[in-house]
Amino acid sequence: MPDILVQYEAEIWSSIGETFVMVGVSVLAAILVGLPVGTLLFLCRKDQILENQFVFSSLNLLVNIVRSFPFLLLVVFLIPFTRLIMGTAIGTAAATIPLSIIAIAHYSRLVEQSLLDVPKGVIEAAVSMGASVKEVVFKFLYVEARSGLVLGLTTSIISFISYSTIMGVVGGGGIGDFAIRYGYQQFKTDLMIYVIIIMVILVQLLQFVGTTISRLIDKR
Amino acid sequence: MIKLHKVSKSYSRFQAIKSISITVNAGEIHGIIGASGAGKSTVLRLMNLLEIPEEGEVEVNGQTLTNLHSKELRQARKSIGMIFQQYNLVANKTVYENVAVSLELANFPREERKSRVGECLQFVGLESLKDKYPAQLSGGQKQRVAIARALANNPRVLLCDEPTSSLDPNTTAEILSVLENINKSFGVTIVIVSHEMEVIKSICNRVTVMADGEVYDTVTIKPKRILNTDNSPKYFVEQLTKVGEMDHA
Repeated sequence: MPDILVQYEAEIWSSIGETFVMVGVSVLAAILVGLPVGTLLFLCRKDQILENQFVFSSLNLLVNIVRSFPFLLLVVFLIPFTRLIMGTAIGTAAATIPLSIIAIAHYSRLVEQSLLDVPKGVIEAAVSMGASVKEVVFKFLYVEARSGLVLGLTTSIISFISYSTIMGVVGGGGIGDFAIRYGYQQFKTDLMIYVIIIMVILVQLLQFVGTTISRLIDKR
Repeated sequence: MIKLHKVSKSYSRFQAIKSISITVNAGEIHGIIGASGAGKSTVLRLMNLLEIPEEGEVEVNGQTLTNLHSKELRQARKSIGMIFQQYNLVANKTVYENVAVSLELANFPREERKSRVGECLQFVGLESLKDKYPAQLSGGQKQRVAIARALANNPRVLLCDEPTSSLDPNTTAEILSVLENINKSFGVTIVIVSHEMEVIKSICNRVTVMADGEVYDTVTIKPKRILNTDNSPKYFVEQLTKVGEMDHA
């Protein structure tokens, strides 16, 4: 291992840990909130089983607004809100708030798109068999859209890693912030390159796992 | 068994169904035929309220569906089976799971599901394919799975929306005999929408002819038998080279 990596090993590991915390919480938010929001977006569209112009337009607007912020601005804009919830706007834990918000907006859009790929006839068959909305969602929609949902989550996780590098501005830490602080601000270019390599490997691995899972569960 | 009473349905400004009344008697195989756009599929979809009419009443199995709350309507739909031209199976579920899901929806006792799915698949002759996915099946096999799924809850009525329109003549004949068999063995009332005259003629007892969103006429017929067409290459050559008949106009 290169000397410089050995020298900073402890810090690199703790930075990776911080990245995992930030991305992990974002993934949880994406699944626990983004998935239902995306599903609701889909169900409330015109000609869908919960068609509701008001709910659809409101959610749609909200998701678009969050996604149109340059992420750095969103983080700064949310500082008062973060402070309200976490008691502080600084640190890794506080960084999870803006990350979770962008994660929800990001993944809900991908969920909506995956569900749009489910043939309308399948939903119709479900309704004709007397399925309730909940049953249509869990026994039909999610089953039929599962590979798209997994691929979408993979894309999202990779974006969250990228977003998390920005969290250095509020002391969120993480591997990206480490690379900026040492590699860029202290001119340790070689260290920066090593960190970039680590991140490339991480992203490749994630994409490989996501693509493989989605292929294995796709029987269409 | 099924009564539509002065039912109307429109899409934006276009009136698809103009105050029609249709009665389907218990135990019959009722055909609905008409040109594209005549409203025949819409009429079928009104029978389980997949389309909600603006006016009129829909009665099935002695229940007025148009008066039911959503929960009661869902319950009523469990005894109205439906099959479609595009089969509409869940591609990520096996044949077995596709049939089992309709039992799950109806809260069919868990211990008996397996044997009930087996019975239904056996009836349509697909027991050996229960672990396959729809993508691995032919069109005729997919439609059989859809029939098994529709039959699982012992429906009183089976609605068929162009069930054979994506199938070749031989497979069509097979599917029609399965439908006829269901009608004879279980006394299920069948409504079948098709634009194919041969299909309607071969199994229906009564036929509603539709034009421009209205009932043109309803006729009682004697079903001719389901013909198993020959698909040997010799027969094709014979048919193609046969002289005269159609082309001297």
